[in-house]
This record gives sequence, structure tokens and C-alpha cells, in this order.
Amino acid sequence: MGTGSRCALLAGFFCLAVFTAHAAHTQVRLILSASTARPGDTVLASVDLKMEPDWHTYWKNPGAAGLATKIEWQLPPGVTAGEIQWPLPEKLPPAEVTTYGYDDEVVLLVPLKLAPDLKPGPLDLKAKVSWLECKEACIPGSGSVETMLNVGTETKPSADAALIESWQGKVPKSAENWSVRAGWEKPASGDTRPIIIAGSYVGAMAAEWSDKFDFFPDANDDFEIQAAIEKVSDTNSFFCFRKIVKKYSGDWPKEISGVIVAGTGNSRFGFEVKLTVSEQAPTDETVLLGSNTGETPVPLSQPLWQMLLYAFIGGLILNIMPCVLPVIALKILGFVGESRSDPRHVRKLGLVYALGVLVSFAALAAVVIGVKAAGHKAGWGMQFSSPVFVVCLTTLVTLVALNLFGVFEVTLGGRALDAAGGLASKHGAAGAFFNGVLATVLATPCTAPFLSIALGFAFAQKAPVILLMFLAVGVGLVAPYVVLSWNPAWLKFLPKPGAWMEKFKIAMGFPMLATAVWLFNLAAGSYGKSVLWLGVFLVVVAFAAWIFGEFVQRGRARKGLALVIALILLVGGYAFALENQLRWREPVKEADATGSLKESADGIDWQRWNPEAVAKARADGHPVLVDFTADWCLTCQVNKKTSIEIPSVHAKLKSLNAIALLGDYTRFPDNITAELNRFNRAGVPLVLVYPKDAAASPIVLPEILTPGIVLAALDRAAR
Amino acid sequence: MTLAANALAVEIGKSAPDFTATDINGKTVKLNDYKGKIVVLESYNSDCPFCNNHYKTGAMQELEKDMAAKGVVWLIVNSVNPNNPSHRTPDQAKQELADKKIVATAWIDDSSGTVGHLYDMKTTPDMYVIDKNGVLVYDGAIDNKPDPQHDPRTARNYVREAVDALMAGKPVPVAQTKPYGCSVKYAN
Repeated sequence: MGTGSRCALLAGFFCLAVFTAHAAHTQVRLILSASTARPGDTVLASVDLKMEPDWHTYWKNPGAAGLATKIEWQLPPGVTAGEIQWPLPEKLPPAEVTTYGYDDEVVLLVPLKLAPDLKPGPLDLKAKVSWLECKEACIPGSGSVETMLNVGTETKPSADAALIESWQGKVPKSAENWSVRAGWEKPASGDTRPIIIAGSYVGAMAAEWSDKFDFFPDANDDFEIQAAIEKVSDTNSFFCFRKIVKKYSGDWPKEISGVIVAGTGNSRFGFEVKLTVSEQAPTDETVLLGSNTGETPVPLSQPLWQMLLYAFIGGLILNIMPCVLPVIALKILGFVGESRSDPRHVRKLGLVYALGVLVSFAALAAVVIGVKAAGHKAGWGMQFSSPVFVVCLTTLVTLVALNLFGVFEVTLGGRALDAAGGLASKHGAAGAFFNGVLATVLATPCTAPFLSIALGFAFAQKAPVILLMFLAVGVGLVAPYVVLSWNPAWLKFLPKPGAWMEKFKIAMGFPMLATAVWLFNLAAGSYGKSVLWLGVFLVVVAFAAWIFGEFVQRGRARKGLALVIALILLVGGYAFALENQLRWREPVKEADATGSLKESADGIDWQRWNPEAVAKARADGHPVLVDFTADWCLTCQVNKKTSIEIPSVHAKLKSLNAIALLGDYTRFPDNITAELNRFNRAGVPLVLVYPKDAAASPIVLPEILTPGIVLAALDRAAR
Repeated sequence: MTLAANALAVEIGKSAPDFTATDINGKTVKLNDYKGKIVVLESYNSDCPFCNNHYKTGAMQELEKDMAAKGVVWLIVNSVNPNNPSHRTPDQAKQELADKKIVATAWIDDSSGTVGHLYDMKTTPDMYVIDKNGVLVYDGAIDNKPDPQHDPRTARNYVREAVDALMAGKPVPVAQTKPYGCSVKYAN
């Protein structure tokens, strides 16, 4: 027994005089789970610290002050000590400098492994234990402890076995049947950042759990997860609370570990967790596995390969989304045109098309990375928020349509005047590449199932992962064509090339024209009534294209004059209609309207979305439907027409006294980008239904809606 | 949000919050009066074994002397509340200053905890280094050995490192660490 504890036994009071040298308030002894053990056994050695009333010693992470108890073993050969198993500590006051430690008594457990070749006989086990004991003042204490273990042919429990076993029950277990997630609530403010930790029990529930949960972190030199705790909500998750992380050095932690503590008093229990800290706070969907929100929850710690697979599948599905369909028409034509060529040429064109898509996706990724690096928020389809981009694309798509109508011929790659002429020009290598670029540009206003999950993940990543994810979407988009071009035999169902192709080509000009109309309508959002001048410009461009095609490309004489006239028309049309009248580079600012955004007299009474409107409606006890949408988002428009702006949903909203909020993402307002990010989405659509119960988490609807999904979610929200 | 309230005032790279306090000689100490000089704040309680280890080994006095020679202002902040046995009246403090041969510009009597709370001092010792422009450049432990029984001279002293870097016109290598020690004995 050490001098410190002997001193305490003699007279604690007098020891105050020499407190810096001796531990006056703690007794220490070494006990074993077995008095006799066999070679090869593991014996639990335990350091039993008994503190005087109001004195305490510390846990492995002492917290804001204090010092963890240390054990230095002096063991005979053949005996090795493992790590200390620390029983669940208490949070010790004061609140401003909270520490983790033990009052009254603690038994620190250490497994001692006996070598299999240990000789029978008595073993002398020794350790030096040092600790910090505190009441109002703190005193470093230490004591040398020793005990005997008999090595024999059978294992005999010691008199202390029961005590050790009871303390073993207080050591945190592994987190079986618990799903716990952690994520940053907000960006850092200085060197502190709020983190949200939420969890649920996922097994069958045995008994009623307490709602008192806390997290005791492991010690770390680079950051400190502070002891103060704020409960966020315990409605759907078992527990959800906020802590403040204070950073001392390095990056914000990617992973935290420690003990989740539940309950109070004697019924307390704890389990160890190691948590990946995601960039977004955990939502009920990520915590509650198998929740019936209509969408498979994606734990944020999903491995990269799985996200890449999602991106690939999303890219595949993009092919049949409405915004890409006109390009499909072009591609079908391309295959028919090429089916008479030799297979090598077809393969080559398939690959060039793929290259066009991939280069475009790489460029998109570069833009996203650049926008992020510049400190702005990036989103899928964000180029459509630029009116200048929309005008350019409208013009381009109009020209493609005219080209399909045969008004003029594309001279990409200078093959138009090739003797082969005709269709080949448009389906040469340059044409295939251009098709790839066009497919990508037109794909961006759509998101498909899987794609939103993958992109939501991608936009929060570092540059290489963003690039990889975008390329995976591109690979998905081109996969069907590359496969077809490799196996032209699968194309046999198509008729033989012939005159029908010219008719088909012209027919395909119409979906392209429809795309132009849709883009024109987008431009109307930016320019208001002046968009008329864009229309005038398009007519002038069409006329110039016809002159170019008829008199320059197919003409015999005065080609130069025709070219000059076409150019004058183009330049004049641009200068007058776009520059002078439309002022296309300085679109009028959209008036910041407030109040109802009703589309028609008997439509849903939409209010403008903002976080305050959601909070207010919920505080007043209304269920809330939130539709994040954008003019350029075709998926959103389809959802609205088929499943939201319909009489049954309108009636349901009325009967539930629900509030409908519309978040218009057409111009990429930052507050909506932030909200989308909160739900791990990179873009719209995002439709949310907030339950009437203000504490419950919102229901996230899938990307593609049916009336049934919306109505069911509203019914659930009203409960 | 109550959780982050007091952590916001003190931030590395920002102006250290000014305070006006009284030292054990009754003199007024105003932080901003020391602009143009490097200032070290030491949260102090010599009954705390971590603090005491630095003084009983003489390592702290050496550091203080060294800093004084470099023209650094050293302010001791004692935030122990008057009801705690570790509290020092001005006379006791003067005696302690002499007995321990402490070299400090001033010993601030902060028994109200005002300065301690302003800087969110958690432990004794908790150290702060403020540059000549009044910008906080270091906040945290005095060194990398949270142990009340070591020779501090063998440890990596973050305060000395920060001051030396400032004098050399270099960036402070470690700007923030987790302070160790005993909790500051604030009034409840």
C-alpha cells in the first residue's frame, strides 16, 4: 500500500499540510478477478480507487480540466497488461469547466494475459498508479500497489470477483442495435462549430429508455467536443442533440469517438461509438433506417463506389428524361445513317459521342469545382439561371432544328461539301462530338431518380470526387450508345437506310423546336415582355440560315454576295434586337413579389418560401407543403402538372388547413441552395411535407411524384 | 444559442477583447494601454498542482524573466473566488509574488471572474499571447506536457514559441491548443 493511502488511513486532516507530495483523499488497492489462474488465461486486474466524500478522480478524457488516472505496470515475464477498461464516468461540475470523473469509488479494469507457457507458482503483480484528486483544490496522488496471483491447474475466482463483475457492467459496451450519426449543423464560426449527434435503437425494444442522452468524447489534442449539451428533438430519432466542437489545430475532425450515455442514476448505460462526421446534420431519414419516406435513406457514410453506381444509374435514366429526348432522336438518326457504314466507323463515332459527353461533364465538374472554390454555392443545372446562357442555347437549338429541317447544313469539321455530302456530314466525328455536348447541356435541367442522391453527395465533396462523380453520370448517359455501336446487330430492327430517313430527320426537327420554345419561355422569365425581341432575333437568324443554306451552300452564283447578306442580317439582327432592344446582357431584375403566387384562380394558394414562413406555419400548427422548383427544371414542371397542382391535392391542402410554400430556384437564391444542401440535394426538385407536429421532421418526397405519394404524405403529416 | 455564447468573444487572429481591471497594488490595468508590446496572460492559481509545478521547478520564473528581458508584458490573472481556500487577498498575493520570485508586469485581482470569463479561461494555467497590435495569436496550454510532476524545461513551451515567432516576424507555429490543468475556481 502506498504512502498516500496509508497517510489517508492515519489522518486525512493532517495530510493537508503535505498535500503536494501525498494523496490524502484517495485509497488505492489492486484486486484480481481470480486468485488462481491457468497459463493462457486472461485475468481481470482491477485498480480500486476509493475517494473521500466530495473528492473525485478522472476518466480517460478528463474534460476541460483534470488528469486521467495512469497505471504503470511492473509485471513478471509472461504477463501482459491490456488497455484500461473505464467504467462510465459522471459529468462533474462546474458547468463552465465540466470534467468527466468518478465520485466515491471507481474500479479500473485491466485484462492481464497469462502466457500459455507460464510455470505454476505464485506471481507478484505490481503497478504504480497515479491520479489527480480534486474537490475544490486538486492534488496529484500516486500509490504503488501489488498483489499475488497463483498460477495453477484450475481457475479459482477471488473474493473480489463479484465486485469486479459489478464494475464490468458499468463499462460501455459496443453499439449493437444502435444507429448513431453525426454531422455539422453549420459552417464554423471562428474556432467553434456546432455538431449534431442523433441516434435510434434499431432492434426490438426491450424496455422504456430514458430520454436523457449525452455524448462523452474521447480525449483529443486537436479538438474538444465540449460538455455542454442542447437537446434538439427526440421525436423520431431516439435522441438528437447539439454540441459545440472547439478546434485547436488541423482540419475539422472527420471522425469522432466516445461513449453515448443514456439514462440517469443507477440505470445509466453507455455504448462506444466511432462516428464519421458528415458535412450535413443527420436527418431522421439518415438515422432511422427503413423509414417510410418514399425514398431509400442513404446513410452519409455510403462508400464512394456505391455513390458512383448511383451516378451511373442516374446517367442511364437521364436518357429517357424529357430534356434529353430530342437528342435521342438525333442519335437514333445517327445510328440509322451509320448502319450502312463499316462497323469500325460506327464504333468510332460511338466513342467520339461518348468523348463529347465526357468532356462536357468534365467541363461541368470544373465549373462546379471553380464555383465552389470561389466560395459560392454550386448546383445542378445552375447555368440555366444565367439569361445569357439561355439566349445562346435558345439560338443554338433553333439552329439545330433548322438544320434538321434541311434549311442549311452544318459545316462542322468542314465535311459539308464532301462528295459524300448529305447525311454523312452531320454524322461525322465532329457531329458526333457535338451531339455529346448537346446531350449534356440539355440533360442538366433534369434530375433523375438516383441522380439527386448521387449529386447531393458529389456537390459536398472535394474536387477529385466531384470530377469522378460527374464522369460516372456521363458514362451512364453514353453507355447505351456505346454498347449499341459495338453491337450494330442489335440495330437490325431499324429499316434499311433510304428516303424515309430524310423524312424522319425533318420529323425530329419538331421536338428540337419544342425544346427551343421551352428555352424561349425560360428567357421570358428574365426579360419579361421584351423577350419578343429574342423572338425577332430568332426569325432573323432563321432567315439568315436559309440564305446561307440556299444560296451559299447550295447556290451556284454570287455566293459571296449571299454570304455578305446573311452576315449583315445576323450582325444587324444581333445589334438591333438583342443589344439595342432586348439588352440581353442586362436582364431586368425580377420584381421581388410577395404574397400569393397562385397560378390560376382555383389553383393552390402558394406563398413564397423562406425558413421563417416554415417556422411560423409550424408554430401555428399547420402542416406545410414545400415545393422547391425552377422554371428550367422539367422534372419539377412534370411533377407540378401531374401530382401537385391538381384538384385532389388542392382539396387535401384545404381540408388539412395546410400551408403551401413555393421555393423558386430558377435564379439560384443562396438560401434555397443552403436548404437543398441541408437535405443532401444538389438541385431541384425537392418536395417536403412538414408534419403538423412542430417537433417532427419533414417527410422528403421522391424526385418523381404521383398524386398518391403526395396525398399519402399529406395524410401522414396531419396525424 | 446558448452553447457558443462565450466562445465567440475570443478568437485567434482577432482583436483580443479589452478589459480594465485592478492589480494587487490597487493600480488600474487596461489591456489596450499595452498596445505596441507583446502581452502574455496567465490564468493563475498556485494551489493547482499544474501551476505549482511550473513555479516550484522555477521554470515559470525563468520564462517570465526571459520574456521581461524581451519587453513582453506578463499579466497574471487570478480568478479564484474569495470563498475558495486558494483565494489570495492583495497582501497574501504580494507575499506570494515575493516568495516565489514571480516576475510579472501585474497580478490582476480577478476574484469576480470578469477577465477569466471574458477570455473563457478554463484551467490554471491557461495562457494567452497577444501581439503588438492587440491581436490574439495564441490561446491554450503552456506546454505539451499535461502532467503536474514533470520538469517543464523538457516540454515544448507554446508561449515561448509564440513570442519568439512574433519577435522574429514569423507566423506563430501553434496558435491554439487544449488548455490543461485544474478548473478555474470561479464564483458560482
